[in-house]
Amino acid sequence: MSDRSLPRLLQTPAVLLLLVWMLVPLSMTLYFSFIRYVLNSLRRPEWTKPAISNWRGFGNYEFVLNNKDFLLAIQNSLLIVCSIIILTVVLGVFIAVLINKSFPGQGIVRVLLISPFFVMPAVNAVLWINMILDPVLGLQGLAIEGLNQLIENLKNTPLLGNFFSLWPEFEPISFRATQTSAYAVIMMVTWQWTPFAVLIFMTSLQSEDIQQKEAAILDGAGAWSQFRFLTLPHLGRPIAIVVMIQAIFHLSLYAEIEIVSRGNGNKNLPYLIGEFANNNIGAASATGIIAVILANIVAIFLLRMLGKTLME
Amino acid sequence: MAIVAQTSKFAKFARPVLAWCVGLFFFFPIFWMVLTSFKTDADAVKPAFLLFFTPTLENYLNMTENYDYWRFAQNSAITAISATFFNLIVGIPAAYAMAFNPSKATKDVLMWMLSTKMLPAAAVLYPMIFLAKGLGLYDTHILVITVVSLINLPLAIWMLFTYFKEIPKDIIEAGQMDGVNTWGEIKEILVPLAWGGIVSTALLIFIFCWNEAYWTVRLTTIDAATLSKLIEGNRAPEGLFFGRLSAVSTAAVGPIVVIGWFCQKQLVKGLTFGAVK
Repeated sequence: MSDRSLPRLLQTPAVLLLLVWMLVPLSMTLYFSFIRYVLNSLRRPEWTKPAISNWRGFGNYEFVLNNKDFLLAIQNSLLIVCSIIILTVVLGVFIAVLINKSFPGQGIVRVLLISPFFVMPAVNAVLWINMILDPVLGLQGLAIEGLNQLIENLKNTPLLGNFFSLWPEFEPISFRATQTSAYAVIMMVTWQWTPFAVLIFMTSLQSEDIQQKEAAILDGAGAWSQFRFLTLPHLGRPIAIVVMIQAIFHLSLYAEIEIVSRGNGNKNLPYLIGEFANNNIGAASATGIIAVILANIVAIFLLRMLGKTLME
Repeated sequence: MAIVAQTSKFAKFARPVLAWCVGLFFFFPIFWMVLTSFKTDADAVKPAFLLFFTPTLENYLNMTENYDYWRFAQNSAITAISATFFNLIVGIPAAYAMAFNPSKATKDVLMWMLSTKMLPAAAVLYPMIFLAKGLGLYDTHILVITVVSLINLPLAIWMLFTYFKEIPKDIIEAGQMDGVNTWGEIKEILVPLAWGGIVSTALLIFIFCWNEAYWTVRLTTIDAATLSKLIEGNRAPEGLFFGRLSAVSTAAVGPIVVIGWFCQKQLVKGLTFGAVK
């Protein structure tokens, strides 16, 4: 009918911008991952400039894959991402079912619940690691100190005192220590992302078939079997989407890890890349390419699913 | 029957109580931060002052002195507002083209755009620093705005696309019959019709730009540093400054959380690309 070429051209700026944004830095990363490239080297100053004559082949990849920090970073990435996903999905389904039926103050509870999602990651981490989890001055420290005080007082009471004298003193946990810092990160990100899961599951629950549910109740189905055989299958697709979106976001967690422990004993892939990038650009780039490949594996599944519903 | 009646009575009472507990539990850390922001640094770490204390505004009044808050806030605002406008200016025509004049490639283009969002930022960390320093743009507004815009552009286009798709094509085509040109179509017909969707897109993109914490930290030192960088710089105050740190944190997230309350419904659409209904 009319000429459609001008309207179609309107997407070119966006496409070109994203193309440059994706291709230029990524091809540089790819190039750097195959050459020897360090920021400071007194012994080999020729390595401090990116040049094709410093070609190293797969040497950087070999170096990274044999680095013990790399395996730890992969392990940690998996531990953090998987724990967060499991916790947010389980909590999310439970809370969404809980607050889906109307009750007094439902709107307010929704607002309270969604708030953590909008807190900036840096504030989230600083708030949790200092004011809540600090073993001395945070709420954790204060709570445990109070508990110990209480037990101490109970020991002096007649009769019951003998029983309480057997109780040990509670020790607060330091979440900045190497082994526990991953748990702190899991806690704070779960706090932030459970609201996201709740919101999506609630949206989906509103389209649940009421008649089917009523029929099930008439047939004498209990609350559990209604949940197991009607609600849960209905939530299958939203759960898959929540899992994949979170996988993509949390594979690149950075601010929380930096703030909690500066990566001490708790590096993930982005953190490792940042550390390599302080000097060994070749290794940082090789790690980057590996991270891109891992992210792509998740992304392909997500895109396939979205693609099906896109044009309906 | 008696048992059934009893359990349902229990459920009637227990559900709201449990729901309120969950809501308050999730909100508690934010409440705690706001509460602490009204305590002096000394009171903030004394168990005796957990809930009962003399509130003070000194932490807010001294924010500029303690942290140079307004400079960082100004940088955050400049970055987030400019990036949001950039996203709308580039995103609206693109989403218009794809929603009303789709070609066979449109679906693939949309998918590809989304896939750029899924690249781990850290993978291109050094090339970005290299380019920024090479072009003399390191720690400038223009660089931060460009980067923050581009990481959110796929999301903006997707959200706009899902809103535009709901507008009947006939209305747009009627405009074409009346001899309105493409620019007029967007300005006179599409933007007023999709105004609600455009506003929610803008608000969400604004939130994401404001909260961005990777590039704004890695590509700045002082001049273009945002609130994320300021907060990260105070990661371990060792309990000395809980009061003032809470105040600056509250000021950094307060407005955003309030904006978030207003667009929570659109959030679902925006983040799941219309796949959850």
